[in-house]
Amino acid sequence: MNQAVPVAPPKNLRELFTGFFWIGARSFGGVLPWAYRTMVEERRWMTHADFTETIGLCQFLPGPNIGNASIVLGKRWFGLAGSIVAFLGLMGPPFVWVLALFALYNDFSSNATLKAVVIGVGAAGAGLFIGTAVKLGRPLAKKPAALVLISACFLAAAVARFSLLLVIPVGLAIALIAARRNWL
Amino acid sequence: VSLVELALYFGLLSLISVGGLPSVMPEMQRFVVDVKGWLTPSEFIQAFAVGQAAPGPNVLIASLIGWKVAGLAGALVALGAMCFPAAVVAWWVSDLWDRFKDSPWRQAVQRAIAPIVVGMILSGGFVLATPGSPDWRLWLIAGGSAAGMLATHLNPLWLLAGGGVLGAVLL
Repeated sequence: MNQAVPVAPPKNLRELFTGFFWIGARSFGGVLPWAYRTMVEERRWMTHADFTETIGLCQFLPGPNIGNASIVLGKRWFGLAGSIVAFLGLMGPPFVWVLALFALYNDFSSNATLKAVVIGVGAAGAGLFIGTAVKLGRPLAKKPAALVLISACFLAAAVARFSLLLVIPVGLAIALIAARRNWL
Repeated sequence: VSLVELALYFGLLSLISVGGLPSVMPEMQRFVVDVKGWLTPSEFIQAFAVGQAAPGPNVLIASLIGWKVAGLAGALVALGAMCFPAAVVAWWVSDLWDRFKDSPWRQAVQRAIAPIVVGMILSGGFVLATPGSPDWRLWLIAGGSAAGMLATHLNPLWLLAGGGVLGAVLL
């Protein structure tokens, strides 16, 4: 990291767009590390602490975390126009990429080996979810109420297959009561 | 009709997707595969895999589902519906969030959301690795990549590639 260059927000909408464009275009294997690298290390739009705080907020909001970050940061720097520009820059390249890849794949998906490879990739992706859950869950492991909530959510969503339109609001309400009583 | 249904349902999902798209993955699968039959369980995991192998936020799997349902229009509508309501919330809440920095309610909300998100992401992983009837080979691959992620600092792309190789050998 170049300490000599001061931290400053993007100068104009074009800079904002290209920054988010590059985050989206090269974020293979997860967007967050690329967002950090682009905004904190390369372009020096914000400090490490700023970044952590913003992402912290975006993880609690509904919606794609990094998509929310583009809205929140765009707004902070340029208002509504900034939000729109940042969001489009972020989503544009991956949207084209993923559709092209999918169209290509559909042409060849009758090939049994290729299909097996892709299903294997999907299963590994499912494993990444499980790994993420374990990582996020570790700090909660000492709180019995949290473990009960996690198990109840899993039973309701994955085993009983209740609609999350029901499970998430009810779960959040119960968790909020538990948090107010300092069980979480 | 399916475009409107898609927009409304994904719009609703967008509002409850605390912690991001992984949280509502079980619901997407349930609605798109079990309720509507727009995709088979196997097609769903394939769409998910393609989404994982491309750059960008994993919300893009929504556009692949939309594509399957109604082509390019479906892809745009699905992605828009999944992002727009949440974006409006983010727009309004970002100021409030700073103002209530030290409020006990903000801290309670933060602590309350964490276990729900963990439960949902865990469910998402389980549901994705179990398309149709349970298959030990998929569980093995998923377990391996989860362990690899926790034990190493590899770029997740390597774990996905490993899953692909195992898939070719086992499936």
